[in-house]
Amino acid sequence: MKKTIVVALAIVLAVASLSYAVPKSNVGCGFGTLLFQGNDGLASQVCAATTNGSLGSQTFGISSGTLECSKPARFWAKQVDTFVAENMDNLATDIAAGTGETLDSLSDIMEVPSEKRASLYTSLQSQFDTIFPSAQVTHEHVSTQIMMIVEQI
Amino acid sequence: MMDVFYQYWKRCGTGVRFAPLFLWMVACLVFVHPLSGNAEEDYLRYLIEAARKAELHNDRYWWTLLHYRRGLIGVRSLVDDQDFFLSPRGKTDPQAELEAAIAALFRDSNSDTADAVCRFVARFAWLKERLLIDPARLPVSGCKAFDQVVASVRPKSATVIFPTYHMNSPASMFGHTLITIDTENRNKLLSHAINYAAVTDETNGLFFAVKGLFGMYKGYYSILPYYQKIQQYSDISQRDIWEYQLNLTESEVQRLMMHLWELRDIHSRYYFFDENCSYNLLFLLEAARPSLHLTDRFPLWALPVDTIKVMNEEGVIAHVEYRPSKATKIKQQLSLLTEQEQTLALSVADGKTNPEELLSLDDEQHKKTAIMDLAVNCLGYNLAKGNLSKESYQERFLEVLRVRSTLGKAADRSAMFEQPVQPDLIHGTNRASIGSGVNDGRYFIDFGYRPVFSDLLDTEVMSGQGTQIEFGNLRLRVYPEEDKVVVQELDVIDIVSISPRDTFFKPFSWKVRAGLSRRLRSDGDESTVFALNSGPGLAYYQDLLGLYYLFAEPELDLSGGLEQGYSLGMGMSAGILKQVTPRWKLHLAAKKTWFEYGEWQHPFEVSLTQHVTLSRNTAIGAHLGWTETSAESQGEVGLTWYVFF
Repeated sequence: MKKTIVVALAIVLAVASLSYAVPKSNVGCGFGTLLFQGNDGLASQVCAATTNGSLGSQTFGISSGTLECSKPARFWAKQVDTFVAENMDNLATDIAAGTGETLDSLSDIMEVPSEKRASLYTSLQSQFDTIFPSAQVTHEHVSTQIMMIVEQI
Repeated sequence: MMDVFYQYWKRCGTGVRFAPLFLWMVACLVFVHPLSGNAEEDYLRYLIEAARKAELHNDRYWWTLLHYRRGLIGVRSLVDDQDFFLSPRGKTDPQAELEAAIAALFRDSNSDTADAVCRFVARFAWLKERLLIDPARLPVSGCKAFDQVVASVRPKSATVIFPTYHMNSPASMFGHTLITIDTENRNKLLSHAINYAAVTDETNGLFFAVKGLFGMYKGYYSILPYYQKIQQYSDISQRDIWEYQLNLTESEVQRLMMHLWELRDIHSRYYFFDENCSYNLLFLLEAARPSLHLTDRFPLWALPVDTIKVMNEEGVIAHVEYRPSKATKIKQQLSLLTEQEQTLALSVADGKTNPEELLSLDDEQHKKTAIMDLAVNCLGYNLAKGNLSKESYQERFLEVLRVRSTLGKAADRSAMFEQPVQPDLIHGTNRASIGSGVNDGRYFIDFGYRPVFSDLLDTEVMSGQGTQIEFGNLRLRVYPEEDKVVVQELDVIDIVSISPRDTFFKPFSWKVRAGLSRRLRSDGDESTVFALNSGPGLAYYQDLLGLYYLFAEPELDLSGGLEQGYSLGMGMSAGILKQVTPRWKLHLAAKKTWFEYGEWQHPFEVSLTQHVTLSRNTAIGAHLGWTETSAESQGEVGLTWYVFF
């Protein structure tokens, strides 16, 4: 039975896979980069394939930042930058809507106390144009603007 | 000192009888060993002796940590990387590996480097616990690098993630699983997602498939931020995600991490069917909670959904969350708007209407935000599908969001939508059936077995779609009056994907089937043929009719019984698939085929099949069919009883 199934799947894969031979490329930054490059690529869809993310201490990258007792000011700046770069589209959507999981996650990284979040989200929403001035905006600009607004609340 | 005392006591067994000997040994330990310089060596010898006595190498947890399996040719580990073993014979010899591990405890002197103690934190933690090893007598007490990772990740709980079936990608047809390590008080997006996958740069789908079937890829565990996986599944592949929160305790999650740590940069050969993405994650759960029995439940193949069922049976799942994909969110948002509003949202997404124009409409505020939110999702969907260039996406996306940001917050409406059936709560993967009926005046009994997975009439696998994924489906037909048994049907593979098209989504439907079936021939006889047919289709949904579809299906039949041994032709089929009530589903189908090459014939078939679901794992089917060839026609009526398991 195992053999039958193996042969069976070989056949269907052979038929169906021909249309999915698209190489995967690295994910960059800016609006739409991830979605654009990920579209229907073989590697992005299959259960089986991966080309990145090997397992090591550096890949536990989004650490919770509580290692040191004395934290430098904005010790999370780098994490914010990475998170913004990798979540640009969803973050812009959440900021425009004034709510959302991506925005909540960013606040978690910046350790914004929960009672301050409502007012933070409102001011981010009202300053959408400053944070995202043009379609070619870079993630550095976005994270700098966000961190400035966070400091003001 | 008390530890040593206790251990020697245990080792001597009947302490009273050998009391003088025992006292002498204690004396040796206290006075001689520290001076001899061989204290470590003696302690090592003692530990190995103790491990032999306790038969630790046969302990189930040792087997879990080393991925040992007992097969036809003896014991072997499923891990294929020599770096995973401390003994050269480690892959096949649990005892040699265990003793090498004990010896390695004494080999290291620097706890910062990645040598044995640091590479195999789980093994050593377990050995220390089981052999009551005195840390003071080891050169290093633990692994600092690992402790630092634990301190920075702050693991609190773990979740099994199930991205659902992906019909348009063969390797993801059965879904996928990964595990996230969750941190307290941090959004799920920031969890660490553990994934087991074949590593390849292969871009040719055919090579990828074949190599994956025969274990020609190396599988590695990897960790990525969960938000990246969500983007991949929800935003790009449009797969809904189910999150099964586990009830692992903090210390169990830590054990999971220990074992994972041991597996970094370690490969095993990857097999699509058994040693696949879902199966390999089970070792992590067994390492976390030793009482779980998961990896021994899948002798032949491990479908992702079945691994979740097994976890549920073992009581490790605490609760379940549903995360709709972008496509599902679009469907939900569409359902809240009138046709006019839908058109408006789509025209904004298509760049035909300037989003500013919406502001001047008299619509209520919440309608405007709903239209904008829909347009934003449509833009992302179109980009992911390749229907939109990156440049126009960027411009339109920002334009729409800019307007959206002036409209304030919208109420969360996600609770309004009904969740689809949890994937682990649909019927079992295996199906057995027994049926009986009359064909052309001849009484018959059918016996059927289907190992995998679901057909169009079984409980819905994906809501709103017709999904059939069958492998190895066998039906034997007995004609008792004629003492005759025939193979009525044997599908090597039978897949049908019926996806309805609407104002926004324009998917194609498709089907592919290869297998044996019985065919009525022009001369009125029946014969068994090997049939191959595959083709594209279009489907729509209408509330009253349900799903209705049309397929073009070329077909090739091969059989010694056919003139020239084959028939090749073109077929058309149409049908209606209707969920009449939650328990009652019917399928009306008609098909005409024009075989013009090989044996000539123009068969026409029409059938009405219905299933009534009695319970999650039982159903009754009723079948009415009519087949006509140029010379002959025959009718069939039958009832079937289905049991899933």
